[in-house]
Amino acid sequence: MSGKTVLYVEDNEFNLKMVRQLLAKTSYELIEATDGEMGVATALKELPDLILMDIQLPKLSGLEATRRLRADPKTAAVPIVVITSFALSGDDQKAKDAGATAYMAKPYSPRELLQTIRKLLPEQ
Amino acid sequence: MLKREVTIPGGALESEPTGWDERVAHFLLTRSPLGQIVRWVAAIRVSVHAKLLASFLLVTLLFIGLGIMSLQSITKILSQGQLLDEVHERVHWSQDIQHALALQMNFTAMALLLREESTVEKILRENNRFSNTLARLEKAAQPEEVQLIQRIRAAQGGALNTVADIANLVRDGKVDDAMRLQLNTEYPLYLQIEALVNQLVERERQKMDRLRASVAAENKNTVVLMASSAAALILLALLLGFVTSWSFILPVRQAHGFLSQVAKGNFAATIDVPNRDEFGALADRMNHMSQELQRLYESQRRGAQELQRLNEQLQHASEAKSNFLANMSHELRTPMNAILGFVEMLIDDIYGEVPPHLKEPLTDIQTNGKHLLRLINDVLDLSKIEAGRMELMLAEYSVQDVVETVRSSLQSLALEKGLELIAASQDDIPLAFGDGKRITQCLMNLVGNALKFSKAGRVALSVERQGDNLLCRVSDTGIGIPKEELENIFTEFQQLDTAITREYSGTGLGLNITKKFVEMHGGRIWVESELGKGSTFFFSIPLRVRMEAPHER
Repeated sequence: MSGKTVLYVEDNEFNLKMVRQLLAKTSYELIEATDGEMGVATALKELPDLILMDIQLPKLSGLEATRRLRADPKTAAVPIVVITSFALSGDDQKAKDAGATAYMAKPYSPRELLQTIRKLLPEQ
Repeated sequence: MLKREVTIPGGALESEPTGWDERVAHFLLTRSPLGQIVRWVAAIRVSVHAKLLASFLLVTLLFIGLGIMSLQSITKILSQGQLLDEVHERVHWSQDIQHALALQMNFTAMALLLREESTVEKILRENNRFSNTLARLEKAAQPEEVQLIQRIRAAQGGALNTVADIANLVRDGKVDDAMRLQLNTEYPLYLQIEALVNQLVERERQKMDRLRASVAAENKNTVVLMASSAAALILLALLLGFVTSWSFILPVRQAHGFLSQVAKGNFAATIDVPNRDEFGALADRMNHMSQELQRLYESQRRGAQELQRLNEQLQHASEAKSNFLANMSHELRTPMNAILGFVEMLIDDIYGEVPPHLKEPLTDIQTNGKHLLRLINDVLDLSKIEAGRMELMLAEYSVQDVVETVRSSLQSLALEKGLELIAASQDDIPLAFGDGKRITQCLMNLVGNALKFSKAGRVALSVERQGDNLLCRVSDTGIGIPKEELENIFTEFQQLDTAITREYSGTGLGLNITKKFVEMHGGRIWVESELGKGSTFFFSIPLRVRMEAPHER
C-alpha cells in the first residue's frame, strides 16, 4: 500500500490512538511523533505529505516546530494543520503567522479532521 | 544644654554671605570673639523683650554719661575763660600803673618847669590812681607778687615824700634846689619804681601767656577726650546692636534652613540653637514637629512597603492563576478531545457497525460530553475575563456569515425540539470590525438559551444596522422572565431558580459572558420579557470597534 503519509505530532497517547484508528480505514499512512523536536526530525527524515501538528508539545512548541519546518526548503511546501488548544483566544492567528496551512480547534471532531485532511490531500 | 559648639551651627551663615554687609557679619561672627558673645547673649535665660530693653537702656545710660561729661567740660572751659579774663584785667591794671607812673614823672617835670602848684595836685591824683590800682592788684596776688608790690609801694611812698619836698621848694622859690632834688633823688627813685612796675607788668603778662597756653592745651585735650568718648560710645552701641540682633537673627536663619530641609522631605532634620529665650522654645517645638513628621513618615513608608509587598504577592498569585488557567484549559480539553472523538468514531461506524440498541446511549454520551465541554469553555472564558486576560482578536468579519454559522449550528437542536428557528440579517450590512468569533459566541449563547427555554413556537434571530451600530435581536416564545429578575439576569451564576436550572440545564454563565463580550466591544445588552409569553434579548455594538475600545469588564 503506497498511500500518502501523514505525520501526527501529539504527546497524548489517546489522541494518537484515535487518529491512528481513524486513518486505519483509509489509504493514508500515519507516522507519529510525540514531541516538537522529534516532530521536526521525523518530518525532515520522512518528508510526509501532510503534517498534523498539536500546538502544545513537550520540548518544542507546535508553533516553533511549524516555523522551523517552514524555514527548511525540504518541508516548506508540506501542508501543516495546526491543532490549537484554545480555539477562541487568538491561537488561530498565531498558527497562521507561524505558517500553518489550516488549523483545527481542539476538541476536534474526527469526522471534520478527516474532511480537512482529504481536502488538503486527496486520497488518490 | 549649654555645651554648644563654637562654630556657627546648621550652616546658617555659610550658605548665603552675598552682600558686603553679609560678608562683614559673617567675618565678625566666625573670626572674632563676637560670635562667642552672640552665643553667650543668646544663651541668657531671659525673654527677648527683656534683652532688647536691657540693651536699649544700656545704650541710653552710656549716652547720658557722655552728656554729663561734656557738660562738665563746658563748665571747666567757661571757668578758665573767666580766669583768663581776670588775668587779662590784671595785665591791664599793671599797665595802668605804668601809665600813672609815667604821668607822675611827667607832671613832676611840668611842675618844675611851670612852677605851678596846680600841677602838684595832678601828680597827687595820678599817685592816687597808682595806689588804688596797686591795691586792686594786691588782692588775689601771689606771694612773690605781693612782695614786689610792697616794694613798689615803699618806693612810691619815698617818691611821694620827695615830690612833697619838691613842691615845697617850688612854692618857696627854691627852684634850683627843687630841680636838684628831682634830678638826684626823685628821678632815680622813679626809675627804680618803673623798673619794678615793668617787672610786675612782665610778670602779669607771663602769667597771662602761661594761662592762655594751658587753657588752649586743656581745651584741646577736652575736645580729643570728648570725640574719642563719643566714638567709643558709638562703637559700643553698634557692637551691642550687632550682638543683640544677631542673637535673634541666627536662630531665625537656622529655623529658615531647618524649614526648607523639612519642606524638601528631610524629616530627620533637627535645629540646634543656643537660645534659651522665645527662639529657643520655638526651636524645641520645631524639633518636636520634625520628630513627629519623621515618625509619621516612617510609618507611612512602612505601610507603603507593606502594600507594595502585598501587591507583588497579589501579582504573583494572579500570574499563577493565569498560568493555571492556561494549563487547565489544555489539560481539560485533551481528554475531552479523546472522549468526544472516540464516541463520534463509534457512532460513525469507524469500528464497525454499531448495534441499534447501542446508538442511543452513544448519542447520550456525545450530547453530555459536548455539554461538559461547553461548561468547561464557559468557566475558563469567565475566569480569563475576571483575570483581565481576555483580549479581543479584532478583525473584519461578515455579519451574514456570523448569522449563518449560528443558524447552521443550532438548526438541528431546533428541529429536535420541534421549534422554528428564523435567522435573518440585512443584506446591505458592510463588513464589520470586531471579534467575529466572540460575537458568534454571544449569539450562540442567546439563541441556545432561547431554544432551551422554549417548548413550542419559534426563535428568531435578526441583525440590522442602525447608523454606526449593529442591533442584534433574539426573541423566543418561551417561559419569560419575571420583572424582578430582569436586573439580575446578566449577573454570573444567576438563573431563575434551581428547579429551572435542573430542568433546562446550564451554568448560568452564558449571559454573563455575553454581557462582558458585548461591553468589551463598547456595546450594551438588555432584555424585554413578558412572563409566559417570551423574551427578547437585544445587544447593540459598534459596527466598527475602535482599536482602543475598552477591553475589560
